[in-house]
Amino acid sequence: MDVSRGASHAEAAPSTGTTIVACTYKGGVVLGADGRVSIGNYITNRASNKIAPLAEYIFLCRSGSAPDTQIISDNVRHYLDQISAESGEEPTVEMAANLVRLINYNNKDHLVGAMLVVGWDRHGGGQVYGAPIGGTLSKEKWAIDGSGSTYIWGYCDSEFKDDMTREEAEHWVMEAIALAMTRDASSGGVIRLVTLDGRGAHHTYISGDKVPQFVGDLPFPAGASPAPFGAPAAQQQQQQAAEAGMVIG
Amino acid sequence: MSIFSYNGAAIVAMAGKECVAIGSDLRFGVQLQTITCDTPKVFKVHDKLYLGLSGLQTDAQTLYQKLMFRHNMYKLREERDMKPSTFSNMLSNALYERRFGPYFAAPVVAGLEPDGTPFLSGMDTIGAVETAKDFMITGTSPDSLYGMCESMWRPDMEPDELFETVAQCLMSGSDRDALAGWGAVIHVITKDKVISRTLKTRMD
Repeated sequence: MDVSRGASHAEAAPSTGTTIVACTYKGGVVLGADGRVSIGNYITNRASNKIAPLAEYIFLCRSGSAPDTQIISDNVRHYLDQISAESGEEPTVEMAANLVRLINYNNKDHLVGAMLVVGWDRHGGGQVYGAPIGGTLSKEKWAIDGSGSTYIWGYCDSEFKDDMTREEAEHWVMEAIALAMTRDASSGGVIRLVTLDGRGAHHTYISGDKVPQFVGDLPFPAGASPAPFGAPAAQQQQQQAAEAGMVIG
Repeated sequence: MSIFSYNGAAIVAMAGKECVAIGSDLRFGVQLQTITCDTPKVFKVHDKLYLGLSGLQTDAQTLYQKLMFRHNMYKLREERDMKPSTFSNMLSNALYERRFGPYFAAPVVAGLEPDGTPFLSGMDTIGAVETAKDFMITGTSPDSLYGMCESMWRPDMEPDELFETVAQCLMSGSDRDALAGWGAVIHVITKDKVISRTLKTRMD
């Protein structure tokens, strides 16, 4: 994992240090992801798409090593294609989730992929499966993963409700990702959402300027006229504060 | 993981027509976690001299405190403020004193000399000084900042234009840096006042 934080582009691997969120609602599922890919601290892609289609109504949210998860998604998409060609039926979400999990488990020494398999099928409706690193598989009502997910467990636990409407579920996913983007340096950029309700896959793109912000109007920084370090007087601070203005960046 | 990218910073300083501007981002974080967004990395030494310090924040803060001590002693003895060029020299000396156990901080000095000429200098962690007539940057994303400054700087900018240029370079440069950003503060120093402005930027 430390290799991906390397200083130079030549030696470091790209990482989708990420926030991915998915939840079921009354009638379907919503999945979402941020858009940041970084090598060390350089942001190589600020609007990437971390939601990969595995079948018409099954999607994979990718986090961890970017190349590893891309290969896993390509392989599983290929297997599902073959299976549905042979059986004549649409693949189930459970099948897709198990394929992802088997690749993770059988190659656990080499792969670093923490993924969510989310989809809709005729048998089970909307389903969310967590497939973290190592090869676990767990079916959940909602799941989150990626480096940014650590900051939003509390939010997700307290705000999730059973049988939400589509708007409530989309808002829950979007707000969770926005909160994580504020605190996690390796999540950010844009938010992508996909909603599956049995009638189709609805894609939503939320550009950077439309992402909800959680830090209010910034006060003038406390440390700018460094009072803690014992230098300039209060009156200079007031003079500076009077001339300071808020500028929208 | 490099000790210089433990906290993260972006600092830009530019010279204009009888004015200088220096700005920094406001993020304070520990590796990938952001703790606060009200921590500037530029500090005032006196009315015509500001110091920006990137790198490990604990060393930046300690170095600033030691320099203020030295500057205060100078003021008591000389009964005047230190010139920016003198301060820069003193800072370089202070850093080289610790050649084999350095402060992990990279400074940028920005100020106006007594005759009103802008002064800019930057150093590495052990005090190698470079002065410049155009701009000086330091931080966890130097390539991005250099690229922006090189293309946007022009000679003899007035204070308001200088502010805009520094603001755009700082914001665009730190938007590609995962460890810098979350707001910015910019100080524009002219011969009779300092105007400080806080910027609202992307908070990711």
